[in-house]
Amino acid sequence: MIAVLGLVVGVVAGLVVRPVVPLAVEPYLPIAVVAALDAVFGGLRAMLDGIFDDKVFVVSFLSNVVVAALIVFLGDKLGVGAQLSTGVVVVLGIRIFSNAAAIRRHVFRA
Amino acid sequence: MSDDSNDSKPDGALPPEREEPSEPPEAAGAQGADKSADKGDDSGPQLTGRQRLAKAVWPPRVTRAQLIVALLLFVLGLGLAIQVRSTSENSALRGARREDLVRILDELDDRTKRLEDEKRKLDGQRTQLETSSDQAEEARKQTKEKEAQLGVLAGTVAAEGPGIHMTIKDRAGATDSDTLLDAVQELRAAGAEAMEVNGVRVVADTHFTDSGGGVDVDGHKIEQPYRFEVIGKPADLEPALNIPGGVVQTLKNKQATVDVTRSGKITVDALRQAKRPDYARSSSR
Repeated sequence: MIAVLGLVVGVVAGLVVRPVVPLAVEPYLPIAVVAALDAVFGGLRAMLDGIFDDKVFVVSFLSNVVVAALIVFLGDKLGVGAQLSTGVVVVLGIRIFSNAAAIRRHVFRA
Repeated sequence: MSDDSNDSKPDGALPPEREEPSEPPEAAGAQGADKSADKGDDSGPQLTGRQRLAKAVWPPRVTRAQLIVALLLFVLGLGLAIQVRSTSENSALRGARREDLVRILDELDDRTKRLEDEKRKLDGQRTQLETSSDQAEEARKQTKEKEAQLGVLAGTVAAEGPGIHMTIKDRAGATDSDTLLDAVQELRAAGAEAMEVNGVRVVADTHFTDSGGGVDVDGHKIEQPYRFEVIGKPADLEPALNIPGGVVQTLKNKQATVDVTRSGKITVDALRQAKRPDYARSSSR
């Protein structure tokens, strides 16, 4: 419950406060958000499976974000930033879908 | 995340493990209840995912796990909102593909080029207009000068300058229109530029006719003494009148007295109406 509240408060704060993202961080934000979404779905699935562990969730969340940003950064440096971020998004999207499928099976038993 | 999924993937094979580590995940707040529930479920149907979700959501428990997850989700929501806002706020260019951007850039270049061309054309037109208005100004100035010159000739404007006075006194009445015309012709030949006699401007089409006791000049009757005001070069005009057999001598032979004096400033201010020709039209331009 508190976790859901945290998400809602974060969205509202982002919309209301309108913080300015530093230019250096800006290109990594979308990928980082997608990676974090992946981590959240994974955590939700783990919770439904009954094996949720907050330590694992924190580590996976942070490492997901960092690795995603790192990949984009590396891609930019190598000149394949667009392709690499597309790849990252595809992989994360597949994972989100598979996690969502597992969650769905738990919640709807279908 | 990968850890999570790794953990959750072998999920099917894990049921026995689950009982052991199930303490750390959910049980921090209500360990006893959970444990008992788990244990109770173990024998019968397992605690389903749906039940776990409901349990996690509804009785709001302040646990370490909940707080940490809330913090991370707060960060996620923040980033999400920022990204969504900046994406929707900025123009469509942000999300555009590279090819689209190149095309847009090309279009902008084309447009810039077209506008530059137009600007150059308009600049040229402006320059042309400026110079032509300069020319028009110049032409107007010249026309004005010419008008003044022609006005002096046509007698429509007053004139002044060096010249001579000539007074003909003729009590005997020997001076007729021929004599006056001779005098005028002589003066013209000597370079007279403007003249009047007794307040009547003498111009190219001035005519002299005899009329009892005087002379009719352009319909104005004048009588002696005849006073000429003539603008021209005095050194030319005076000798022209005084040459042997000239106007002065002829008049003196007729018992008239002629008095010619040079002057530095003669004013010819008698005017004539400019007559608009009925048939002749300017053929220039």
